Amino acid sequence: MNTLSDYVNMPFLWFCALAVFAVIILQTVIYVRAARLVGPDVGFTRQDLRQSFRSGGVAAIGPSLAVVVVAVALLPLFGAPAVLVRIGLVGSAATETSSANLAAGTLDAELGGAGWTPDVFTVAFLAMSLSGGLWMLATLILTPLLKRGDVKLRSVNPALMAIVPSAALLAAFASLGIAELPKSSVHILTVVVSAIVMAVCLLLARALGAPWLREWGLGFSIIIGLVVAYFAHGAGMGATA
Amino acid sequence: MASPTDTSATAYAVYDRTTSRWGRLTMLLGLLFSYAGPVYLVLFSGLEIPLSDMLTAFLAVAAVFAILAVVEPITYYPVLGPAAMYQAFMIGNIANKLLPSAIVAQAAIGAKPGTRRAELAAVMAICGAAVVHIFSLLLFVGILGTWLVSVVPEPVVEVARLYIFPAIIGAVIVQLAAYVKQPRILLIALAVGAVVQLLLVPVLGTTFRNFATAVVVLATMVLAWVLRDRKAEHAAPGDESLP
Repeated sequence: MNTLSDYVNMPFLWFCALAVFAVIILQTVIYVRAARLVGPDVGFTRQDLRQSFRSGGVAAIGPSLAVVVVAVALLPLFGAPAVLVRIGLVGSAATETSSANLAAGTLDAELGGAGWTPDVFTVAFLAMSLSGGLWMLATLILTPLLKRGDVKLRSVNPALMAIVPSAALLAAFASLGIAELPKSSVHILTVVVSAIVMAVCLLLARALGAPWLREWGLGFSIIIGLVVAYFAHGAGMGATA
Repeated sequence: MASPTDTSATAYAVYDRTTSRWGRLTMLLGLLFSYAGPVYLVLFSGLEIPLSDMLTAFLAVAAVFAILAVVEPITYYPVLGPAAMYQAFMIGNIANKLLPSAIVAQAAIGAKPGTRRAELAAVMAICGAAVVHIFSLLLFVGILGTWLVSVVPEPVVEVARLYIFPAIIGAVIVQLAAYVKQPRILLIALAVGAVVQLLLVPVLGTTFRNFATAVVVLATMVLAWVLRDRKAEHAAPGDESLP
């Protein structure tokens, strides 16, 4: 039958991915036109518009390329269409791979392991998309409410709003990281190497005043983590899948 | 000048209406296209996946992330403003790319924070960032990346597939810990995570394992709240990057 790569690269998936890109371009065109129209009346000249657009774009080059490295590393797992939409846009490498990991786990399969079949990929892709869609749904529902001032959670309890997101994020990723440890000694090694590389990047970024190191930290951690995993796996430390 | 505030208010109202209406519409379209791919695989690719499998997987994921999906838009709203909300949550990478872009652009045109000029500069900067991001993804991931993966030897691809998650998660925990700067919550999360994943999961079996991370999230939130430092003033994440 068809292999995993036939499924992850189905033409219709490519079509959907490109459609999301097209929608973002359409939105951008509409926003630029609206800003050009209102500009003269609020002191935002054509010159301002051009310059904002350009400096925003230039500032995004570094971070975008950093995302590219992470996305390419995920291509073997998810294929290009799913990576482009889920990792490149909408979500982030951290939340989306976590979602896929959780979803695969419910089918007793390990992300990328022997049980990573077209069925498991499909369930993971669906779960990622539905869960990632929650952010967009929340934005669609809450933005108009926030605009009218109906939702004033922040003023109700700022301490709660400070603790809840931090606690939820830290807990989700800490739990998923710890869950990797019992899998094999290569998993332990990879998690530790990845964490150390990130810590070094962050420390160097501060010490050298080089913020780009912060953006590239995830890319470096993944590449170095995978290189170490490759040699450790080759040395026979891997799980007997 | 004859009541410039009136014309500017009217013009702004038009801008606000256009960006809200079309922002919502384009985001809804983006959402539908992002659902269409996996739904197509489920229905038309010949795979026969039990509905219960899909439901369990979604619930396991949603139980972990649903709270964040609601809280994050609320946290970012004051920083982004309504128009940029519809861009930011579709384009993604908000904290590491869009906010820095917006701040750079505001500085470039010397717009004072809180003014209409600053708001427009941020939205236009996000537009510029979106264009750069889309083209670099298409070129370097869609075209070059796909080619790269096809020429890399199979054993390497296999290792990348197998260990990509541990290679991501270690870095993500460190990055997040450095970003939120709340050691107390970090310790609670790690302790609860260790107890649940290493002690309870092996004993309590599959169903519990599926929702173990959700349990960790819930328990950490409750403990972080109960054990919070009552003397300290908390700043919400994202506040430091207020333009």
